[in-house]
Amino acid sequence: MDRLERAIVDLLPRLRRFARTLSRDMADADDLVQQTVERALVHRGQWRLGTRLDSWMFRIMKNAWIDESRARRRRTAVLAPEEDGANTGLDGAQALEARLEARAVADAMGRLPDDQRLAVALVLVEGLSYREAAEVLEVPQGTLTSRLGRGRAALLADLAGGAP
Amino acid sequence: MSELEQLMAYVDGELDAADRAAFEARMAAEPELAAQVAAHSALADQIGRTYAPALQEEVPLRLRLAAQAANDGGTRRLAPWIAAAASLVIGVLAGQAIQPPPLAVGGAVPARLALAKALDRDLAADPGPVRIGLTFRDARGRYCRTFESAQDRLAGLACRDGARWRLETATAWAAAASQPDYRTAASETPPAVLAAVDAAMAGQALDAAQERAARDQGWRQQ
Repeated sequence: MDRLERAIVDLLPRLRRFARTLSRDMADADDLVQQTVERALVHRGQWRLGTRLDSWMFRIMKNAWIDESRARRRRTAVLAPEEDGANTGLDGAQALEARLEARAVADAMGRLPDDQRLAVALVLVEGLSYREAAEVLEVPQGTLTSRLGRGRAALLADLAGGAP
Repeated sequence: MSELEQLMAYVDGELDAADRAAFEARMAAEPELAAQVAAHSALADQIGRTYAPALQEEVPLRLRLAAQAANDGGTRRLAPWIAAAASLVIGVLAGQAIQPPPLAVGGAVPARLALAKALDRDLAADPGPVRIGLTFRDARGRYCRTFESAQDRLAGLACRDGARWRLETATAWAAAASQPDYRTAASETPPAVLAAVDAAMAGQALDAAQERAARDQGWRQQ
């Protein structure tokens, strides 16, 4: 394994988390991660040492997802099945509450348009700065903040009814 | 910056010290603004909690394999069988210290996995999430079996080492979409696994009766 491969292995948990914000179906999300890793290795010459590997790979995943979701929309509009058991480490009422909350949030995320969901995921899930997130999405920072604002407003409105 | 954008920038830590102080002064004077900040902070926490568990999960073997597939001219180089056992210690652990990886090339297949149960019990024709392909003996007399696991999206070769199955080689694999309930596992077996079989097999593959007999004897070497 070379340095890049090792760095990618270290990044896999975060790539999987980001993929989950894009696809509810765990196997589909992992397929997306695999595609991203394969594309990254094919285009490894484009990554410059010293720049952020996570941003670069999030951008690859974003593009893979957009390609994939275009194809998917043509095929079917069915939502991916919900995944249970994501919080199996907790007990009883606490686990149930956590699972319900997670499901409500993931449902609401799933209803956002792709561009808003990507903005929310990069900033609020992955913790990127506005500048970094805008670079991943290849848009001006003003576009990023406007998508982020609309996405957040939609999520707040969506979750207002079901909040615990 | 619009009101919402300023509020977001505050919650996301994007304001510089001066703007931050000014915004906090406004919050102190405007309870409505403070309430909005609280709502946005709570939302950010909720979203973080929703996706955090993904970081604790073990990363599937197929993804770790994908990250380690050296790329030469578009063809994926797959580690040969022996080298795989020796060098592909897949548990490269930084970033996932929570649990050791349950499945690693060169390591035992944990008995709790569906894969171990299928290797123990299933015959070549049996349906299930894991399909068994060929069964044969290697030069050391160990029983070896090829498998394809739809749920792990992994194909490979495992050999019986004492009381456990040892994973000799593994590669990413998905059932052909055209025939999700394929019957002839051998036709699905990826070239990398077939190459490992060629390298390891001593003599002929077991026929159905020999396979059943070996299974019924608990895969003990005679």
